Amino acid sequence: MDKKTMKKVHEIMLTIRKFEECALKLFEENKLRGSVHLSIGQEAVAAATGVYLRDEDYITSTHRGHGHAIAKGARADKAMAELMGKKTGYCEGRGGSMHIAEVEKGNLGANAIVGGGVPHAAGAALSAKIRGTDQVAVSYFGDGAANEGIFHETLNMASLWKLPVIFVCENNQFGLSTPQSKACSVEDIAVRATAYDMAGEVVDGNDVFAVEKAFLKAVKRAKAGEGPTLLEMKTYRWKGHWTGDPEVYRTREDVEAWKKKCPIIRLEKHMVEKGVMSEEEVAKKHEEIDELIRQAEDFALSSPEPDPATVLENVYYEEAK
Amino acid sequence: MATEVIMPKQGLQMTEGTIISWLAKEGEAVEEGKPLFEMETDKLTIEIAAPVSGTLLKIIRPEGDVVPITELIAVIGNDGEDISDILAKAGGGAAPTQASAEPAASPEASEPAGSAGAEAPATAAPAGAPAPARSPGERTFSSPRARMRADESGVDLDGVAGSGPDGLVIERDVLAAAESAPKATPLAKRAAEAEGVDLAGIAGSGPRGKIYQRDLAQAGRSAAAGAVAAPEDRLVKLSGMRRIIAERMRDSLDSAAQAVHRVDVDMSEAVRLRTSLKAAEIPVSFNDLILKTVARALRSHPRMNSRFTDEGILEVGEVNVGMAVAVDEGLLVPVIRNADQLNLGGIRSESRRLAEAARSNRLAPEELQGGTFSVSNLGMYELDSFTAIINSPESGILAVGAVKEKAVVVDGTIVARPMCSLSLTYDHRLIDGAPAADFLRTVKALLENPYRLL
Amino acid sequence: MSRKKYAVAIRDVIAEEMKADPNVFVMGEDVGLQGGVFGCTRGLMEEFGEQRVIDTPISELGYVGVGIGASLTGLRPVIDFMYMDFTYVAMDQILNQAAKLRYMYGGKATLPLVIRGQQGIGRGNAGTHSQSVEAFFTHIPGLLVAQPSTARDAAGLLRTAIRDNNPVMFFEHKALYATSEEVPDDPEFSIPFGLADIKREGKDATVVATSLMVGRALEAAEILAKDGIDVEVVDPRTLLPLDMDTINASVRKTGRAVVVHEAHRTNGVGAEIASRISEDSFRYLDAPVARLGAKACTLPFSLVLENAVVPSVEDIVAAVRDVSYR
Repeated sequence: MDKKTMKKVHEIMLTIRKFEECALKLFEENKLRGSVHLSIGQEAVAAATGVYLRDEDYITSTHRGHGHAIAKGARADKAMAELMGKKTGYCEGRGGSMHIAEVEKGNLGANAIVGGGVPHAAGAALSAKIRGTDQVAVSYFGDGAANEGIFHETLNMASLWKLPVIFVCENNQFGLSTPQSKACSVEDIAVRATAYDMAGEVVDGNDVFAVEKAFLKAVKRAKAGEGPTLLEMKTYRWKGHWTGDPEVYRTREDVEAWKKKCPIIRLEKHMVEKGVMSEEEVAKKHEEIDELIRQAEDFALSSPEPDPATVLENVYYEEAK
Repeated sequence: MATEVIMPKQGLQMTEGTIISWLAKEGEAVEEGKPLFEMETDKLTIEIAAPVSGTLLKIIRPEGDVVPITELIAVIGNDGEDISDILAKAGGGAAPTQASAEPAASPEASEPAGSAGAEAPATAAPAGAPAPARSPGERTFSSPRARMRADESGVDLDGVAGSGPDGLVIERDVLAAAESAPKATPLAKRAAEAEGVDLAGIAGSGPRGKIYQRDLAQAGRSAAAGAVAAPEDRLVKLSGMRRIIAERMRDSLDSAAQAVHRVDVDMSEAVRLRTSLKAAEIPVSFNDLILKTVARALRSHPRMNSRFTDEGILEVGEVNVGMAVAVDEGLLVPVIRNADQLNLGGIRSESRRLAEAARSNRLAPEELQGGTFSVSNLGMYELDSFTAIINSPESGILAVGAVKEKAVVVDGTIVARPMCSLSLTYDHRLIDGAPAADFLRTVKALLENPYRLL
Repeated sequence: MSRKKYAVAIRDVIAEEMKADPNVFVMGEDVGLQGGVFGCTRGLMEEFGEQRVIDTPISELGYVGVGIGASLTGLRPVIDFMYMDFTYVAMDQILNQAAKLRYMYGGKATLPLVIRGQQGIGRGNAGTHSQSVEAFFTHIPGLLVAQPSTARDAAGLLRTAIRDNNPVMFFEHKALYATSEEVPDDPEFSIPFGLADIKREGKDATVVATSLMVGRALEAAEILAKDGIDVEVVDPRTLLPLDMDTINASVRKTGRAVVVHEAHRTNGVGAEIASRISEDSFRYLDAPVARLGAKACTLPFSLVLENAVVPSVEDIVAAVRDVSYR
């Protein structure tokens, strides 16, 4: 990974981290509707893959999708406004946290149904293939989704048709309160790739370089017409499944242990050691992103609510009169 | 303090109405709650009641005018009140029409049973309007479409038999009823009922041949006329009542030697008496006054209260005055027994009761018997006078015409007086011209000085 | 004009649209090599190649999801279901995804896809292969629903469906595939959604019927005509959007309505149509609106039993007499 990319990855991770922290704060201040599913601790996966995607490449994501959206280029302010259900949000307040999308820029949407978006990425890849372009699609999903039928149906078809899609499984060890060991018949989800005659790999999801290496290999494979890859990124979420989760399923110690493997700190340490960025520059970057998120928060808080009179708009596509 | 009468909004969508007819003339007394005018909107004819009692001082919008809702159409107030500022607002009304007396109304009992005050019995089209009046007892169920057809055709749902399940009145029941019934306004229907007139033969002057009350007057039908002159042939099977009437009328003319005396009566005092009684909340009709007068006169002219028998002329002890009432099938003449012993109030309530009973076919047989003399009033048809046929075996019958303003000579001067023409048909077998004239003179005198009746 | 079978009319429109627009493609089970179990995609793979006529694995949920992804990214998939009963397997992708993405994304996603296939009784396919399932898709907002009863209607409506930028559920009928009709040859011939068709004019009673029931309603009308009851048969053709103007005009004229469909009577689309007639045209009704639909049991295999469950011509005749009080 070159220096420029490293800095970019760092910036993305910081944006995700601080965005999520802000969202948590707003939830605790009762300024957010519903709940949010935070990806604090998992930033490396989104950042080190997203940095290599162009606007014309596609992603689909999950209920825990803020990070993927930001890595794909989403603006913090419009994303925050969508979390608050405001008119200025990405979906004009219609979708909320779990459905942030920006279709023109290739973000085909976060999905609240576990596994719901997995086939959409495959479909986008099929579309690219039929149209003869070099676009790729990335499907982000969690360990829980790997047990949904849709996962299996999609992998089967993606492999069969050699679709340019990369399946990125963020294995954060838990499906809500259920540990992977209690839900999944295999320890490494990546082995399921062999069931579909597909390439599969287990990756340290908190190491941006490992993520990058595996991902770029998969992208190459896809563009060469050799089909999909299943990348299992081992990672961990520091916060509960959703804001307000009592986390009965793990101990403080488990969480602390994983915090020591924080991808941001790891990268910062590496960058400072290698002279890519000085400590001051790192601190300054933190401030810069803090300011960005602060502005995003202000924007969202001061944005107007959507107009109830428009509630029936866009149920259907209608020709402009 | 004068009251403005406006064109009222009678339906959610109504924006204007057509004045079909004024039921009172300028200068006439009107009564709160009683029909003041008929209007038409959206194919419906509705009677509108006077909002207050008083004198109809001015009719600003004449019959036929199409008036937007809430616009001023008339003024009610006290006699002689100054309403120039109201009139100025309206931009001046039509020249006062020739004041003529209110047509002799049928007794108040002629209001349809069960309707609220004098409000329109016409079934209302607007959403939320109350259901038409039902006859007491059973509820009539009808489909919405049947009701819609009833609105359109003016058919009274209460009178339609339902052929749907459990007696539901359905569309074709109403269509069948409408086919056989001519279209007429509620007022016309009541008038026709009262006088036993068959609407089928009347040419209606309204839209699609709708019959208004004035069409009846113009057709000049009377209770005794019977036969229908319709432009098309129409065979009406003889009902029981018709058969009886036919026989009786023929017998009457065959047996009695019928001659007629006519006299015009100045009704000024009668009008005044009636007005003051109304103010005292004793509403009597002209017909009640006439019934009372006749009863009193009969008491002092026993030969007029008699019967021709083989043994001789039987002067009947009781004075039982019959009053002719037009009903669906024809004519009934219920009898007010001992009418001379009843005061005006008594006459009023008896006459009302009997008229209602006659119309709803609830008269007891004895209520139709024992009459000694009859009165037939066709004043509502604006007849000047007419000749009635004696109700055998009575000795006479008084035919009462309309009370109309006429020019008469009083003390050498021509004045306008409300005049009423009385025609006495008497049986010359048992009473001669002079005594018959004497009786009639008594009636006239009493009517012209009606305070003696009280 | 050409006289064609319903199934052929479907096939021809797909072919014409694929020719006119390279973004249109077909996917589903046995659509390519086989040409569809009912022949609705016959010859398409030979003409347009494997990439545009895709034989999918038996993965209804999965291939609808793939189709959705393709429709979000520039293509116009015509997704085939061998039996529309199988939409149950794909419900999450149809009702939670296809129906909702446009709305949830603030109008910034367009899903120009068609999910089409046959349904209904007539081949002894028993309970899970003989249903009529259109009602489910009219209930959740976001989908358009078409249900043509004739070859011509099928052709015109399918063209509209493919060209429409909304997700469309297109319900054909297995027992109608072999029926023939004159169909215009014009490759632009289309029938708009939301326009009902009066299949038979009449003045005494309205029968609103869909799909297979349209033919039965017409038979019933012939029987009733002998008794002087003149029936008007209205075919909505699309259930969403639903042409209530035509239905209401008919009921206001006749004063009475019978709504008949093959799907179960309880909570079928007839309940919606009957309700709306009552709301819109109450004062014009001489009788309550009648509804006919399949009885409340799983469709049985035996033909005798199947006929006892689904509305027959006689059932329609009796219902019309009922509301006519004759």
